[in-house]
Amino acid sequence: MKKIFFIICSLLLLCSFSAEKSANIKAGEKLVFAGSYNMSGLMTQLAQVTMTTENVATAKNNYLHLSCELSTYSKWDSFFKIRDIYESYVHPTTLKPSLYKRSIDEGGYTKKEKYVFKDNKVTSTVKKRKYPESTKTFSIKPTSIDAVSILYQLRLVDFSKMQAGQTKSYTIVFDEKEIPVTLKYMGKETVKAGNLGNKECYKISIGAKTDALKGKDKNLIWLTADAKKVPALIKFSIPVGTGQLTLTSATGI
Amino acid sequence: MRKLLIGLAVFFTLLAIVFSVLPFDTLAFLPIGLAIVFGLLLMQKSNENQKKIPKILLTITALCSAFVLGKTLLVKDEVEVDQTFEQQKIETKQEAKKELEELEQLESDLE
Repeated sequence: MKKIFFIICSLLLLCSFSAEKSANIKAGEKLVFAGSYNMSGLMTQLAQVTMTTENVATAKNNYLHLSCELSTYSKWDSFFKIRDIYESYVHPTTLKPSLYKRSIDEGGYTKKEKYVFKDNKVTSTVKKRKYPESTKTFSIKPTSIDAVSILYQLRLVDFSKMQAGQTKSYTIVFDEKEIPVTLKYMGKETVKAGNLGNKECYKISIGAKTDALKGKDKNLIWLTADAKKVPALIKFSIPVGTGQLTLTSATGI
Repeated sequence: MRKLLIGLAVFFTLLAIVFSVLPFDTLAFLPIGLAIVFGLLLMQKSNENQKKIPKILLTITALCSAFVLGKTLLVKDEVEVDQTFEQQKIETKQEAKKELEELEQLESDLE
């Protein structure tokens, strides 16, 4: 259970840094990844991660719904079934979050979290399977965002103007606290990007002040070096092992 | 020595069967490989009238290899459509919309 938790936290933390300015992430985008975990030196495919975007309208406002789902492949379901949803409702242009929700079901272990962002405060509501619901309000930096919206904000950073080795520091809200995150631009590499073919990508190393990520420059993300900056490959190193997310399909970009 | 080899060959053959049945993909080739190695060593250390056990063990590991290879090449990794999960997603979205509207209401009350 702890292993799965670490993996999922790490995957989200892996992309933990924000953009310099607002931009436009389109609704209707769908990115599908194959999630693999290193077992005795061999990468074994465990789950599918799907990231989607869509417009949501309330009586007064429009939001962009950013969703990140994780489902184990059916061959694993009988042994250890995972159905997780991480989602964020953000302003369509600034990508500033208003509401972040996380619902996990990992082999019967369930947890639900809700974070309401209001000004420089966050009210979190957490419900674990066997525990009563708890609520907490805490102050955050004006630039702090959640773990899902940051994944999209990352794609707004202009890496073409960065030098290899250059770093940036950011803050995200995760597990009812703020976590400082540093990204290091490491240059360009060509990697396979699913249906997009081989693409030249920006290689970025992510470091966070948390026990969830291990090693120096071992948590990496490759973003296509074009205007879309689609995540093509994500490698993570956590206390319980290593793994990767490989882009298999990108549509609506 | 032969008894030790029998023990190891049987152990890794059983492990190979378990790994082949479980969805470990090519990871199953680790115990399969070891079972083949110990099976062949056992075959070498056996007299003509003692070769029945290693032959059986090697046949089982060969079948396991074929099974794993077939699974790897023919069975696609797919996510099953989970109606409960789909329903949960719809409900979560409806809840979120309500929560956003409550938040908007709170903000306009404060203004």
